[in-house]
Amino acid sequence: MRSRLPVLRARRRYMVFELEAEDTVSAKDLMNEIHSAQFSLFGDAGACVNRLKLITFNGKRGLLRCRHTHIDDTRAILATIFLINGIRVALHSKGVSGTIKAATEKYLPQLGKISDETDGRRIELKEVSGCIIRTHGLKIDLCPDDRNKTKGSDTRYLGLTSFDLSGGHEDADGTADGL
Amino acid sequence: MSFCECLKAYPEGSASASRLALTAKGLGYSSLIICNAEPQKVFRPDAASAVKGVRVILGAEVTAAHPKALKSRISALRARYPFLMVRGGTDEIIKVASEDPNVDLLMHPCAYDARRSLSIATARAARLNKVAIGFDLGALVHLRGSSRARWLEAARRNLLVARKFELSVAITAGALSHLDLKAPRDMIALAMVAGFEREEAEDALRLPERLVDLNMRAWTSPGVELL
Repeated sequence: MRSRLPVLRARRRYMVFELEAEDTVSAKDLMNEIHSAQFSLFGDAGACVNRLKLITFNGKRGLLRCRHTHIDDTRAILATIFLINGIRVALHSKGVSGTIKAATEKYLPQLGKISDETDGRRIELKEVSGCIIRTHGLKIDLCPDDRNKTKGSDTRYLGLTSFDLSGGHEDADGTADGL
Repeated sequence: MSFCECLKAYPEGSASASRLALTAKGLGYSSLIICNAEPQKVFRPDAASAVKGVRVILGAEVTAAHPKALKSRISALRARYPFLMVRGGTDEIIKVASEDPNVDLLMHPCAYDARRSLSIATARAARLNKVAIGFDLGALVHLRGSSRARWLEAARRNLLVARKFELSVAITAGALSHLDLKAPRDMIALAMVAGFEREEAEDALRLPERLVDLNMRAWTSPGVELL
């Protein structure tokens, strides 16, 4: 219920978070998972004190509204999420602000985006071989030929960087001898 | 702000050392310790040093089938690696690890069974031999429901014993891939859910790097350093 007295108004904080996932995740699935993680960790009574609302989500970064006294709880909720609809994800909180405007200006960068690239190149090394799923700057996600390589960690892909493939050249972009 | 994380790299985890270093740097860690059971087989540890701004230390996790083998393995690995971690699986392993001053970190299981919680004897031995007790917060992330409630209860009980005996405490996310890594603030928030105080959690995150720095200095005997 909307209160007219400013002192009785709920004080809010806006948390910017970043999603790292092996595949694309929709905002609806993400919010369902956040709610289920919250209910699981703090229960219904905890959830009624800290009402979470997803303000925006662009597939990579998002803005989550929470109660000003429960910032650490919100961080813990985001940290406990590791799987959304069978897709392995990691959620990292980037920062907290008092208004949507400040949070957007401070923590949601508009420029300098590096986009994911998909190419069908292969890596053949002695220790590892497989297909490159996507590259993101220096980061490379690799689908290994031997599925047992990612066994205990629940991930689909191996995380590598171009440093691993460059054969000792610091400025190599990953197209050197490894590929 | 010198937070540190202990984790496993490829081939035991599913991310290479340099990918872990790159992710850890983005999250705000100053160093990370790779604790593979077979540290000589880590995939391209030299590539990780190409990532600037984060220190990658090659440590080792000591694994052995029985206590006697653990002892010899600890003394074999001690000279080569600046950080030794033991994952406490059975009571015998925990006993041997807590009584060995060469062990830096003992990852104690947080099991519901009261007999397998951090015992007074273990805590006393760990204090005497300066063995830190580690809490693997990966369980808090991966478990759900009643199993997580049991884990939380056991963790709180172990933490009470650790506080009582003034043991050094470390927290890790038990990361096996770059997706398991949590930012230091998230780790502190998770630790607070598990019953830690904020300062306690911050110290616990700094502890492994402090231990590595101590071990890298040349000690001739306890308390005597070669300068």
